[in-house]
Order: sequence, then C-alpha cells, then structure tokens
Amino acid sequence: MTNHLGDIQNSKAIIVFGANPAVNHPVGFKHILKAKERNNATLIVIDPRYTKTAAKADMYARIRPGTDIPFMYGMLHLIFKHGWHDAAYIDNRVFGMDHVIEEAKKWTPEKVEDVTGVPAETLYQITKAYATSKPGTLIWAMGLTQHSIGSSNTRMAPILQLSLGNMGKFGGGCNILRGHDNVQGATDMCCLSHTLPGYYGLSEGSWKYFAHNWGVDFNWLQKRFAGKKWMHTKGFTLARWWQGVLQEEKIYSTTPIKALWVQGNGITSIAQQAKVQQALDKLDLLVVAEPFANEAAVITNKTDNVYILPTATQFECEGSVTATNRTAQWRSKVVDPLYESKTDEEIMFAFAKKFGFYDELVRGMMMGVKNGKAVQVKNTFKWPEDATREIARIIKTIGLTGWTPERLKKHQENWHMFDEVTLKGIGPMKGEYYGLPWPCWSETHPGSPVLYNIDIPVNEGGMGFRARFGTEYKGENILAGSRAGIRKAKVHGGYPELTKDNIEKVLGIKLSAHEKAVMGKNWKVDLSGLIAKYALKAGVAPYGNAKARAYVWTFPDKIPMHREPLHSPRYDLTKKYSTYPDKKNHYRVDTKYASIQKTDWSKDFPILLITGRLVEYSGAGIIERNSKYLAALQPEMFADINPELAYKHGINDGDMIWVHAPEGTKIRVKARFTYSVAPDRIFLPYHFAGFMQGADLSSHYPEGLVPFATGESANTVTNYGYDIVTQIPETKAGLVRIEKA
Amino acid sequence: MVGISHTVYKGKIMKKLLPLLGTVLFAGNVPLAEPNQAPLHPGSALISPQMIEAIPGWSRYGELFLYLQTHWVKMLFLVILIAVPAVFLIHYLIVGPKVFSHDGRKFLIFPSWQRIIHWIAALGFVLLIPTGVMIIYAAFFGGGTTVRFARYLHDIGAVLFALTVLPMTLMWLKEMLPRMWDIKWMMILGGYLTKKKQEIPASKFNAGQKMWYWVATFGGIIMIITGFMMYIQNFNPALLNKLDLHQIDILRIAVIVHLLLAMVVTALFFTHVYMSLFAIKGSIDSMIDGCKSEDELKHLHSIYYKKIVKEGKDKDLADKC
Amino acid sequence: MYNNARMKFYCDEDRCIECNACTIACAEAHELPVGIHRRKVVTLNEGIEGKEFSTSIACMHCTDAPCSQVCPVDCFYIREDGIVLHDKDKCIGCGYCLYACPFGAPQFPKDGAFGIRGVMDKCTMCAGGPKPTNSTDEFELYGQNRIAEGKVPMCAAVCSTNALIVGDAESVSKIKRERDAAKGKGPKTPYGWDIAYGL
Repeated sequence: MTNHLGDIQNSKAIIVFGANPAVNHPVGFKHILKAKERNNATLIVIDPRYTKTAAKADMYARIRPGTDIPFMYGMLHLIFKHGWHDAAYIDNRVFGMDHVIEEAKKWTPEKVEDVTGVPAETLYQITKAYATSKPGTLIWAMGLTQHSIGSSNTRMAPILQLSLGNMGKFGGGCNILRGHDNVQGATDMCCLSHTLPGYYGLSEGSWKYFAHNWGVDFNWLQKRFAGKKWMHTKGFTLARWWQGVLQEEKIYSTTPIKALWVQGNGITSIAQQAKVQQALDKLDLLVVAEPFANEAAVITNKTDNVYILPTATQFECEGSVTATNRTAQWRSKVVDPLYESKTDEEIMFAFAKKFGFYDELVRGMMMGVKNGKAVQVKNTFKWPEDATREIARIIKTIGLTGWTPERLKKHQENWHMFDEVTLKGIGPMKGEYYGLPWPCWSETHPGSPVLYNIDIPVNEGGMGFRARFGTEYKGENILAGSRAGIRKAKVHGGYPELTKDNIEKVLGIKLSAHEKAVMGKNWKVDLSGLIAKYALKAGVAPYGNAKARAYVWTFPDKIPMHREPLHSPRYDLTKKYSTYPDKKNHYRVDTKYASIQKTDWSKDFPILLITGRLVEYSGAGIIERNSKYLAALQPEMFADINPELAYKHGINDGDMIWVHAPEGTKIRVKARFTYSVAPDRIFLPYHFAGFMQGADLSSHYPEGLVPFATGESANTVTNYGYDIVTQIPETKAGLVRIEKA
Repeated sequence: MVGISHTVYKGKIMKKLLPLLGTVLFAGNVPLAEPNQAPLHPGSALISPQMIEAIPGWSRYGELFLYLQTHWVKMLFLVILIAVPAVFLIHYLIVGPKVFSHDGRKFLIFPSWQRIIHWIAALGFVLLIPTGVMIIYAAFFGGGTTVRFARYLHDIGAVLFALTVLPMTLMWLKEMLPRMWDIKWMMILGGYLTKKKQEIPASKFNAGQKMWYWVATFGGIIMIITGFMMYIQNFNPALLNKLDLHQIDILRIAVIVHLLLAMVVTALFFTHVYMSLFAIKGSIDSMIDGCKSEDELKHLHSIYYKKIVKEGKDKDLADKC
Repeated sequence: MYNNARMKFYCDEDRCIECNACTIACAEAHELPVGIHRRKVVTLNEGIEGKEFSTSIACMHCTDAPCSQVCPVDCFYIREDGIVLHDKDKCIGCGYCLYACPFGAPQFPKDGAFGIRGVMDKCTMCAGGPKPTNSTDEFELYGQNRIAEGKVPMCAAVCSTNALIVGDAESVSKIKRERDAAKGKGPKTPYGWDIAYGL
C-alpha cells in the first residue's frame, strides 16, 4: 500500500479492482465512506460480482474474471485520447510509457466490451469520472493478484495511476489492501522461498551480509545446504509444495519433500486441495503448530506421525506487527499462554536446541554495531525487544532502521495523539507519523506515510521512485527528470542509489578517512548508518530517485499484456491472447500453461467460478468456525447462484448441488439464490474445510475439536493455474460445471 | 331530559364504537415504498428483509391489534365473564329449570365412544378456558410462574381438544346440519323463556346445541390453528408472499381472530354448561350413561322422537338403556 | 446529557456494510443463546444494482412502546431516559409484544420446560433489567448493564463504520445533521478522539 487508509479521505475518486473492503476491511472501509461523504468522492467498483463494496459504489462494472488488463488498457486508451493524462509527470517520472500508449491504441472501447463484458459506455463513464477527479486512488487485492498474469495485473494498475500522475500524491497511490493481521510483517520478513528477509534476494552478497549480522560463519551456513548452488536457488512455493511430494510433474530438487512443518498458515486455503490431501497422506512427517487445529492435520488420511503443537494467540505474546500501510504497532501480552500453549519463538527455540543450532539462531539478537561492523555485544537476549532491534539493525532495504522497540512502544502508549487522516502526531508525538511507516531511514526519521511523494521533504517522509536498475537503459536516462526533484533536496532532479563510491559525488560532500573505512558498500548494507545520515542531511532518500518503469525489460512481458486465463470461457480469444508456454523449473517444479489452455474447457465447464471472502470468517476459517456466534451466522458452505442459472438446472434455493472442476474434483454444497452473481457464474466462499468431495471428515478431528461449522473447501475445485513470476494460484479465474445433487 | 341523555349516551358509545368499526373496516392497505426484490433465504422470517418490508404495514393489523388489546379485550371479556353467568342466574331464579320425568323408557342417544370423545374435549375446555382467562388478566393474577404455568396448561388443553375435535366434528356432522325447524326453535328461543311444558321443534340436536357445535368445532379448529401459529411463531414465508402478507401480519391476524373467537367460545361454553348442568334437570345423564328419558326426548327433541317411533327404532334404543 | 434526554438508536444505512459486528458483539457481551439475535443486520435487495442496502435492527425503544401497552402482565417499564425494559420474572411468554411491535424486536428462546417457548428477550440498550444493577442475577437474565457504567451500548461501540449510533436523541440527530452538512467540506483534520463517534 503506497499510501494509507486515512489518506483515502483525501481522495476525490476511488477505483476498486478485485477487492472487497466492505467485507474484508470493514473498519478501514469507513475511510472510503468518509471520502464519499466529505469529499463527494466517486467510488467505482470493478468486480465480477456485485459485492457489499459495490453496493456502496457510485459506479459499478461487472467484469469477466481475468480481463483486468484489457479494461485498464481501455481506460488508458481513453485517457490518452482525451488528454486526461499528466504529461509533465510522465515526462519526468515515468520510463517507457510510449510502449504502453502504443498498446493502448489497440484497445478501443468496443474491443474492451468484447473481451471484458463491460459495455463501452460504462467504460467511458468510469474512465472520465476517475481520470478527471484528482487525486484518485486505486485499490486492489486478491482479485487482481490471483491470476496466471497476476504479476502483469499488478504492474498495469500502477501504470494507470502513473499516467494520471496519481502516484506519490496525498489521496492517490496504489492502495493494496493486505488481507491478514501482520501479513505485511510476514512479507517484509520474506517468509518465502525466493529471498532472504527484507527483500535482500538470495545472492552470495546477501547471504554474507546476513551471516555477518547474525554472527554466524558463512561457510557454516553454506554447509546447511545440500550443495553450494542450492543456497542461491529458489525453493518450492506454498502454492505447489505438494508437487514436491507427489512428483507428478518433474521436480528439480535434491530430494522429494518428506516432511512438512506448518506454523501459522492455512494449508487448506490453497488451490488443488485434492492434491494437497494426497501429498499430506504421502508425507513421512506432518507438524502443524497453531492455536486451533489446522485442518491440514484433518483432511489428511494419515494417522501416524501427525503432530499438532498448540501455539499461543496474539493475546498471549508480545512484539511488533506491521499493518497494511507499512506501519508498525507494538502489541503487549494480555495473558500468559494458556494450558500447554507455547509462543511461536518458544517452540522454535526448543526445536533449535534439539537440532543443535540454537546458538546460531539467537546470536543475532546479541549483536551490535561497532565501527560499521556487527559484533557480539552481550551474552543474553531479551525477547522480543532484541529481536526487534535485530530487524531494525539489519533491514535497510525498506528502511526499518528507525523501528526501535522504544519508539514503537511510545507510539502504543500515545496512540490517541495522532491524526486520523495525516497520521501526524501531536503533543509528545509531534514530529512523528503513527507507526513510523517504512521507510523510516534513521532513529530520528518520522516515517513515510505516502510513498514516492516528492512534494514533501525526505525528512518529513518524502522520496522519489527507487533507482534500482542503474542509471540508463539502452542509452535512455532512467533517473528522474529535472522537474522531479524532491522538495528541499540538495540534489536536483534524479540521482542514483547511494553507494560508498558515489556518495561524495552525488551529495557533494567530503568523507573523512575513518568514515570511508567504516561505511558499508552501499545504502543497503551500510551498518554504520552514515549513508543514511548524510542522505537525510542533504534531504534525499538513500535509495536514489529514478523513473518508474512502465517497460520492464526483465519480465516475460515487457509491458503488461493481456493473456486469457488458462481455463477461459472464450476459447476464441485464447488464440489471440494466449498464455505463456509451459515453464520448466518454476520454483523447482515444471508448471503448465499453454498445454492447459489448448483444450477448450468451456464446452464441458461453462460456468465461471468466482471465489472470495465472507465477513464472518477469515482465511482458512480455522479460528472463526470455532466461534459459536460467528458459525451461527454462516453455518454451512454454499454457492451463490443466480436464480436464472439455477432454474435451468432444476435447482431450488437451498438444494444441494455438485460443483465439478476440470481437474476431475467435485464438491457438494448448498445453493443460495442471489442476484449479486450474473447467470454465467457462481461464487464460492473459501473459508470452509472438514469435508472432501462429499465425504464428511469430522471423525478426523482430534477429540472435541470439531468446529461448529465445517464444509467443503472451495479450493477443491479451483482450477490449475499459477502466475508466471510469483506462482500465486489462479483462484480468481476458473471454470466449473454444476448439477443438482 | 331522557331524550337528551339518550342521545348523549348513544354519542359516547359511537365515540368508542366508531373507531373500532373504522379500524376493522379500513385496516387498509399501505403501499410499500420499495418491495424487496432479492430471493428469500431460509431462516427466521421475523428478523429478515420481509420484517423490514412489513414495518410500513404495521398500521394495518399491528395497529389494529394494539387498539383492540388496549381498548376492548379486557373490557369485553369482563362483560362476558360477568354478564353471561348473571343472565343465566337471573333465568334460573325467574324461570327455573325444566323438569322431566325420568320414569318410563330411556333411549340410548350417545354411545360410549361419543361420550369418551366428548369428555376428553370437555377436559380440554376446562383447561383451556380458565387458563385463557388467566392469560388475559395475567396482571391480576400476578404474572410470573403462576400464569406461565397456566400457559403450559393452556397448551396441554389445546392438545387434548385437538385430538378430539375432528372425531367430534365428523361424528355429529349430519345431525348438526341446519334445518327449517331451527328457525322456529330460534323464534321461541327453544321454549326456555317459559315454564310451560311443550313440544319443541328440534331433531337430535336443537338449534342452540347446533350453534354451540359449529362454534366449538369449526371455531375450535380455527382457534387451534391460530393458537398453533402463535406457538411456533415461525413458518414458511414463501407461501405468505403469495397471499401478499408478511409473517408478522399472519401472527397479528392470528391473535386477533383467536381473541375474538375466544369471546364467542367462552360465552357459548358458559351457555352450554348452564344448559346441560342446570337448565334441564338430569340432562347431564345423557352424557354419563348416554340415555335420555322418554319424557325429555318427547318434549325437547320432538321431531327426533317422532322419527324414531315412526321408524321403529325406539325399541332398539330403549333396550340399550 | 440533557435533562429530558431520550435514548435512541440510529442506523445510517448509507454506512452500514452488514459486517455483523453489532450482532456478534451483542451476543458475546450478553452471552445470549445461539440463535437469539437481539440485534441483527438485514440486507434488502441483495445483488440488485443501486438498490441494495443494509440496516441493523433491534428494539427501537419507542416513546409510546406498543409492546408495553399490550402486555397482559404489564411487565414492561420505560425508564426516564426512554429505554424500554421488561421484567423477565413477570413475563409469561405470551407473544403479544411481538405482535404489537412494528420491528419484530421481541424474541422467545426455546428454553422453557420441555423446550417450550420461554420468556421474552430483547435488546436492553445495555441497560440491564429490574434486578440490582451489575449483579450476577442481572447479568444472567438481561446481560451487561453498560449504561450504569457510563459506557456506550456494545453494538454502537463496535460498529466498524459508525453507521450505528446511540445516545440521547438530540445528540444523535446532531451527529447525523453534521455528517450531512459536512458534504464537500473535505476531511476533518486534525481529528479529535474526544467524541465517541466523531463525524
């Protein structure tokens, strides 16, 4: 999220693509409602079904799932045609927009109507309303990301905002709404298989940086891997780990996966549940560490070597969490862990001791910095403060330097001293933004609530776009233009990211010999903090000031291109907008694309599948389905179906139906009549588990732990499909067939 | 003077009656602002979009119920509870009971199974009516556990009565159909206003008994249905939409009908009790051993007597007694 | 609070998003039996473009409460501040209050003997009942008495979008009026946390 929720109250137009904040962020939605009330902001919702958010919208477009890129190209077509774009902004702050304009020319409103199903007139009205009311903010969530072209979707939306000059403005930006408590924190710590914490990647340089900061020998770390090359190879993803067990598609690993340890994650909320179940059955060892019985341990037929470890909930532990708007909040313990529950770190430390790497695991919390080097400064550590300090000390890529436990605790004690709309503190918190939104470059920096804002000084949270890809591409300058300098910066216009070698030249300063000796190689690994210090003194952000790239030369599609979903209802369009060729070794497993799309699935599976959330439940539903009041509101799994479609199949409101997927799986759910879905699609909430393809798995639950509500998982019928870059499952665009049960 | 007070008196009554009449007659249709278009979902219809839709319609049956309950129910019941027994007391004192000879032949009128059904129903009534009255005047009886217990007994009585109402309806249906002589009976009020012994135009059942029968059975069935509706409170709204009524309106109509019928049933119940226990000496026997004396039958049910004699059935019926 | 305060609920259907926080918070706070919804959110015209809206309904604590007028046991009492409460010990569960209520607020849990319908339960505006204030008896029969503790009723306290507001009628209408008058005025900043719902 480049801006923050309160900032939405500054917006004059809010466009929502594939997100449902009224259901998933009810309290945050208040800001959108206030924008509507106080700003006369126009709320525009683009969604395959008429959601609760759409019910509050001023304009609504019912889009075919997976066709967001054509829609946005349609908008860009009209924007450039009518001159609603911000030419000066594009000149100075965007690289490669010409390629986009060329592609946009092809997407006339009529063509967009054919592909997306949104009438040309509606496209025009929406574009005009959005483009001419500035600042406009663009909100998205899983509806945009969970596609085989999710990585293109999430580039298309910022391109749209860049064309209008909405990025880096109050009331503008791309406000991606994260969906779980502290998922932003988990993302920042990169609990993912392709990078070290803080987005440092897997290069040798990054590993050495972390080894140094953890006080651990790099060679010892290297020896933890089966061979040198595996240290720098991406691992399996959450979406496809099960293929590492089943090996139905070729895997590229030293060994198949034999054991699975799940801590704080919903295995049952991932696509291809039938396969997940098979994989769980084949494991040698399954460990789930959760406060409630994770249904991964339930859907499996495995009866031996399945362990459930009770972990503590958020009320039973202390530490910092990161909100969707990049701010940190300190959480205090309310009650000691109940019964035999242990906090997550207690469990991890206990096993680390058993496995023999406890010392290496915790030494990082006992390190400090002396003369630009990390050294051990004490022999004991205090949890969680020292863990927070370790993060602040090491993670510079996103500027967590300022997140000391003292500052965060002070914010917690004074959380009523901050303004709702600007996040500015008053009284004892004057000069700081609530939660110190990252990047928070130093221990005195106030935080940066709005990313890429060049209208305010860096010392008040301003910055340009990050200069990450050098200073030029094919002879063209990719640093920011002369009119895009940061306010009150001593450096005019664009400048490269700061390194030890270029800092004197870029900032026009002279370093002493000692400073040169202790300074880190570049701003990302400078433990001395000098680069940040001099940068802030000069009023610049350490990471440079470049143009945002609309043209990305490292991605499979240089500019976002529309590609039909793997299971498309429009077989004719799959010829023109075909998907990628099959990808080998995509996070260690061969992943299919074109070979799936070449079949015409729409004949046998004519109905579009939409998945989404309910306000009563979250994620895999493990927690909420154990609450009797919440379960009373949503007691069973259902499919939202339009009465017209239902009557065609002889289905009445409340009848049980079978939903069949192209992969051969099926689920049995109750039909629920509604007009919020069109007659060509159905909606499934994904929070249920405990049934598998018609079979009731209640007997698999540990004694007395069956939730009040169980049901089929929507993910048993979500189709095969994964994003080309991130491998996120294509759960938002699929096909199914229904019949009365 | 008398004339003026008469007008004034009439005016006071009209003031009370007119609104009653008006509300009943014009419990009119209030058009809904925006009918709910979305499909119905199972679940309580009492907390649902249908309930919200029913809100503007409150001025139909909701307001009617409020008006009746606050202005008329307690008063009317009091009138019935006092006036009806009072009238019969006066009748007993002035006119007195009819006496018939119980010597001579006796005829079997009610076989044992009919008597059993009648007494189960009677037990039901004995439970239903006093407990019903207790519910209406619950404040007087202190409410709480006492009246709650009365409510449970009311439900039990309803079950008892419900078991017997259909058999009772069917077993006497033919004899209870209205005939021409019922009009004659009505005009002389069954001969109860005079001490004279005379032949009364009535078959097995006279017009008075018929009135009671129809009220008790069909009225009773309606009371069972409305009572049951109030008991379960929640039933399928899909049917209701076809009738253009909401769940809550059905309940309101149910309680209004239940109360109105209750008044009629109570009044006629008292009448039935008086007639069978006091107004005709010994008539209760016909419900205990099933037999009526020749004297009583010849006079009070003259047409029936003539019929069984003509058809020669009198010997059979007499033998059974 | 004003001398002649009358406590009222108001649910702004432009803000209600059917998040059900009010329903759940009420059930949780008063430990209601599952299935009794003192407060429930109802959505009309679901899925109909431009017509769908939601609102949270519970007892409206009417000034001329029809429920209290028709009750045969006279178990209702209306507090000076307008909150309509009833005595569960007197209540006989006859259902008249439900028939008289325009909003369907009275509910009857099936917790009598043999699963028969018990006595009436309804929203108390978190003001408890005739039992001694904040006693265990009061909690078991009527739920929390937050008004006596100077707290906002649970439902309005948790409403995600401040659609549901409760308080003295004058104050509530003032808030609504200010919300409407603020159209086009832009965001309110700095934002004070001293008012319960802000604007």
